[in-house]
Amino acid sequence: MIRFEHVGLRYGIGPEVLSDINFALEPGSFHFLTGPSGAGKTSLLSLMYLGRHPTRGLITMFGQNTGGLTRKQLVPLRQRIGVVFQDFRLLGHMSAFDNVALPLRIQGKSEKEIGNNVHELLEWVGLGDHMHVLPSTMSGGQQQRVAIARAVITRPRLLLADEPTGNLDDEIGYRLMNLFEQLNRMGTTILIATHDHALIEKFGHTKLILDGGGLTVEQSTHWLAKKIEGVF
Amino acid sequence: MRNPFKKDRMIGKARQKRQYDLPLNKSSGTGFLILLICLMTFLAMLALAASFALSAMTERWSSGLENKVTVEIPAEKPDGTIYAPENIKSQTARAYEVLSTHPSVVSAHVMTDEEIRDLVRPWLGEDLPLGKVPLPGLISVELNDSTLKTVKILETKLQDINEKARIDTHEEWLSHLLRFTGALQFAAALLTVIIGITTVTAVAGGVRSRMAVHNAEVELLHLMGASDNYISRQFQRHSLIMAFQGALGGIGIGGIALMTIGWISGEMGVSLLPDFTLGAVQIAMLAALPVLVALIATLTARQTVLKVLAQMP
Ligand SMILES: Nc1ncnc2c1ncn2[C@@H]1O[C@H](COP(=O)(O)OP(=O)(O)OP(=O)(O)O)[C@@H](O)[C@H]1O
Ligand SMILES: [Mg+2]
Repeated sequence: MIRFEHVGLRYGIGPEVLSDINFALEPGSFHFLTGPSGAGKTSLLSLMYLGRHPTRGLITMFGQNTGGLTRKQLVPLRQRIGVVFQDFRLLGHMSAFDNVALPLRIQGKSEKEIGNNVHELLEWVGLGDHMHVLPSTMSGGQQQRVAIARAVITRPRLLLADEPTGNLDDEIGYRLMNLFEQLNRMGTTILIATHDHALIEKFGHTKLILDGGGLTVEQSTHWLAKKIEGVF
Repeated sequence: MRNPFKKDRMIGKARQKRQYDLPLNKSSGTGFLILLICLMTFLAMLALAASFALSAMTERWSSGLENKVTVEIPAEKPDGTIYAPENIKSQTARAYEVLSTHPSVVSAHVMTDEEIRDLVRPWLGEDLPLGKVPLPGLISVELNDSTLKTVKILETKLQDINEKARIDTHEEWLSHLLRFTGALQFAAALLTVIIGITTVTAVAGGVRSRMAVHNAEVELLHLMGASDNYISRQFQRHSLIMAFQGALGGIGIGGIALMTIGWISGEMGVSLLPDFTLGAVQIAMLAALPVLVALIATLTARQTVLKVLAQMP
């Protein structure tokens, strides 16, 4: 479904941040993306959410070569992707409710449907009594939960999350990871960029490791353990 | 008792009313643009009204003068001496005789001394010493055919009565006047075009700077899969409201100005000034000005936004 072939990216005339990246994500898979700070995790995600074009290589999203698509043809592809940005990117003049409702409004959903879904989801992430509050008066963790709610409200085919649990305590962090797992079981392909090794260990999905511009894939021991358990 | 903490609890609460996706109504510079559009609409309205008044005036003059000529029996002989007033009277009467029997003449009217004095008064002043100035004989004539040939034939006939008799067809005077009003109308049209260009430039500039200010938000909408149309609608709506406000203000002030001008020219009774009473169609056209301005602003905003968005991947 998603395939990177010999993808390279450089900013302006700087060095290549990503060079010769090759990987594929199967539909319904769950991956972690790790690597040291500055390795290019956010850059790789920006290529996937179609925020920029690669300087070289081929990117296939939902079976379509993105290099051959017009700007107009990219719009429906973007609507199938939910993104949790590392810096949240909430709209400051809007309440939490309106921020979460935004992707649905963009997709032209009815206000009734929007009202029900947004209420339910905000309750679920523990922001039931913060619906009509502006992001600027929320804590970092609360803002992060609004950002996550906004990314999943449309039930995207692909969810990209950049450090989604960075500001959260363990309990709410695991709660949100469970939300991602639940979405994953319903068919959403998930890629989470994180430094949090404890989290990776606990959930044990396949790791994509970025370092020095290259990418390696590491099957989790967890996954192997499950496999071995099945064999014996 | 009122709850003293009630106000505190409102801090940070968003208004329940749905907000625009982009906080355009809160951006600075909006007031300035509204004022500018107000001024531009006001100027456009004046230019249009002036052009309407000019065309009404030329219409009236040229239709009133068509096929009308004035026969002049001068008081002066070719040798420079002056005819006695009785001679002028009898020559004018004979000329009238000739004219009223001619087949090309529809009607002829010998002007009385009183009428002639009324005609020259605006130029010579009120206290004209009567009798001192020899008045020519004037006959206003309506022809059914004012071609040069007919006029020449009539003129030759009249010159048998008075050698210097001549027929004034108003043509030269009228063509001067038409050229003058034509130039004025062209200036008014040019002014309207300049006003239009200024408005378009100002709106486009405003939209551009607003897009730069809200670049992060615009990019976010784009990444969420908002189509160019969706994003552009945000700016169009803002421009539409802004332009409408400005244009309504402009047309209000312009209406007051036009009524004042109309009242002043009526009060002074200046017949040489163009008539400022406008027809229903013309008033409707002026009233439609805000709609036109709002439309121009909306289309300009759209074009500008689409051009900027085309730079995004
Ligand atoms: N918009 C940009 N323009 C120029 N250089 C950039 C830009 N964004 C990132 N970079 C550079 O690309 C490299 C990778 O950055 P990136 O943000 O992708 O790393 P990261 O793995 O997400 O780091 P972190 O874990 O700290 O979030 C860095 O050297 C950074 O300076
Ligand atoms: Mg990053």
